[in-house]
Amino acid sequence: MSLAILDARQWQQVVDLGTGYKIEAADSPLVGMVKGVLARHPFPGDRDPRGNNWVTDTALDLIDRYDPGFAFLTYARQYYSSRYSPLTAAERAEMRDAAFAEVERFSRESGFTTVLVGTGDMTQAVTPIDLTGLDGLAVASNWSARYAGLYGLSARDMDRLTGHPGLERVATREEIVDLFGGGPEDGSRLPEQMAVARLGHYFNTTSLRRLVMLPAPSYFVPVSANLDGVASVTDVKSAVLARLGREKVAIAFLEGLGCNDFTVPFTACRNGREWYCYEPGDSQYLALTTGEHRVFEHNGGYRYYLDDIERKPFPFSGYFTSLPSGTIGQAYPGRSIAVGNRSMFMHMTTGCDIACECFARNLYNQGLMAVIHRQDKAAGVC
Amino acid sequence: MQCNYCERNCRLEEGRHGFCRMYANSGGRLVERFPDKWCAYAVSRVETIPFYHAYPGSRCMVVGTAGCNLDCRYCANAYAAKEDPASLTDILLDIGPGQLVELARKQGCHSIVFSINEPTVSLPTLLRVSRAAKAAGMPMGCLTNGYATPLATALLSEIFSFVNVSLKGLDPEFCGDCLGIADSSPVVRNIRELSRICHVEVTTPVIDGENDHELDAMAALLADINPDIPWHVFRLLPTHKMSQRDYPNIEDINQRLERLRGSLPYIYFHNFIGSEWVGTRCPGCGLEVITRHSLGCGGDKLDTFRCRGDACPECGGRIALLGTRVAWNAGEARA
Repeated sequence: MSLAILDARQWQQVVDLGTGYKIEAADSPLVGMVKGVLARHPFPGDRDPRGNNWVTDTALDLIDRYDPGFAFLTYARQYYSSRYSPLTAAERAEMRDAAFAEVERFSRESGFTTVLVGTGDMTQAVTPIDLTGLDGLAVASNWSARYAGLYGLSARDMDRLTGHPGLERVATREEIVDLFGGGPEDGSRLPEQMAVARLGHYFNTTSLRRLVMLPAPSYFVPVSANLDGVASVTDVKSAVLARLGREKVAIAFLEGLGCNDFTVPFTACRNGREWYCYEPGDSQYLALTTGEHRVFEHNGGYRYYLDDIERKPFPFSGYFTSLPSGTIGQAYPGRSIAVGNRSMFMHMTTGCDIACECFARNLYNQGLMAVIHRQDKAAGVC
Repeated sequence: MQCNYCERNCRLEEGRHGFCRMYANSGGRLVERFPDKWCAYAVSRVETIPFYHAYPGSRCMVVGTAGCNLDCRYCANAYAAKEDPASLTDILLDIGPGQLVELARKQGCHSIVFSINEPTVSLPTLLRVSRAAKAAGMPMGCLTNGYATPLATALLSEIFSFVNVSLKGLDPEFCGDCLGIADSSPVVRNIRELSRICHVEVTTPVIDGENDHELDAMAALLADINPDIPWHVFRLLPTHKMSQRDYPNIEDINQRLERLRGSLPYIYFHNFIGSEWVGTRCPGCGLEVITRHSLGCGGDKLDTFRCRGDACPECGGRIALLGTRVAWNAGEARA
């Protein structure tokens, strides 16, 4: 059973991650240790200048107490700030440099070899695309600028979409299945059609806040040159696992930074297939951590709300309904941790023994959550 | 002319708008400046709004416009409620009443709930939506600050069959400092009036050192109006002009609420992850008849509904509910 420690500041609660039900008397030494880490490091907020310091500080504290061989870190402050705050080029550059400085501090103080991966470049949000007038239904997540799922389109809708200046293409479910080498059984969580926005355009179906910048279509993303033999984000997992036998390694995933932003030597790696490139989000995380494209289960157009039934498994894990398999944390036999300020992706996509993450949604900072997937590896440590 | 929708009663010169910036005097007529303009629509759980006692488990479409008639220092939705609506016109969605209802239907929603800003600032638009929704058999609900005139309150009750009124405080000093209004007596009056006509729940955001000392008085007031009113005590997140404030202490607030649960059977304490005080207990036998999860800003969620209709399965006592459980995907059949 995986345990979740919820930390709402000055108040903590331990629940079963799978059911969300409170667990009494769950305070093993490992749980106590993780509770202490959360209590010592309250999350400052998604756009707070200390947001990335929190990642490094928390990871170093956890490393001191758990002694892992692998760490997965996400630094996302610059992503949230770029999305929602009007920044000058100088301010963005300063924020980028601060993110790299935090990774460097982590490497220096932990002694881990750190592989840096960027999620992709950002671009100005130019024009919202309004698909509310369709006869059919358009579904877009707040966090996806490029993709919207389409259902029940009429001939009139198709005409309208075909000539839409903000759209790069409308792909059918079958085209996506073919693109990623699937069979007919793989399309059940893909939309009937997928609308793909052009650079700078974004779907404005459910957005609550004004977007300033959004992810640019990034067909390639940077992976620091200290990791050899990688040509795609899906190569990172096996390359890191190969190194883990010899040294302690961390992956630092830098959100909102692409090849144009990287200040360390890097290899430009494929970030998807052909026209389908990942945005920062679940499918990109899973491509990185599992070494496989998981577009059939995780894509920008699925009607995730269908899964939100009573007694949905993993109620504190957003729209995830099961723990993804084949993750790097599951594959690595040693101890592992994940720390990041991109909420539930830490505990759902990395598979690490312990994950510490912010519990913030839509910029509302509610505190922290830690998940302990593996208690059995803590012997002799806690 | 004088705007008669909210208790500010703004005086509007020709071509000018009032405090909320959503109504204007046009040739001696009070008109909406941005009719049929919406800042967002999204699928949500009805428990997230929060409504715990109206159609439990149902899927609703949350909508909002722009503007507000209050000036809360802790506004959680300042990006829509506090911005000048005129500055948002490039991102506001233009959706007519029938189209909005159709959008809700296509998303399998059981109801439409207005909850991002204040409905009193968009009443003519909402009235048109409600006619389309009634024709489609779709109920509407809202979250309101309750600072409306009797006329507007009558319109609210015509439009919405379930309403959550925010009772933010009673002390005039608090109302002046934190909300930008003279006092909350119109809000109290409207809770009393609305609870006679439609389903009412009440939400109170608690702010340490500002309104936490008023919890006893608010509970007594609600018990006097109708003890069946569900009361949502919200742990306030430090936001907007109060972003530097401390997070309210959960144990302290809950201790105060514990004493009040005898006079009001449906007191909930949430807006933080993992709250233990989001289940509904039968006032008769104490059985937890509805179990929920508090997912913090991820919204709240129905886990288990044990009532038989609106009755406790153990003792048969009545649970105050509007409608009964609606399965989450029930609306997909007509989507």
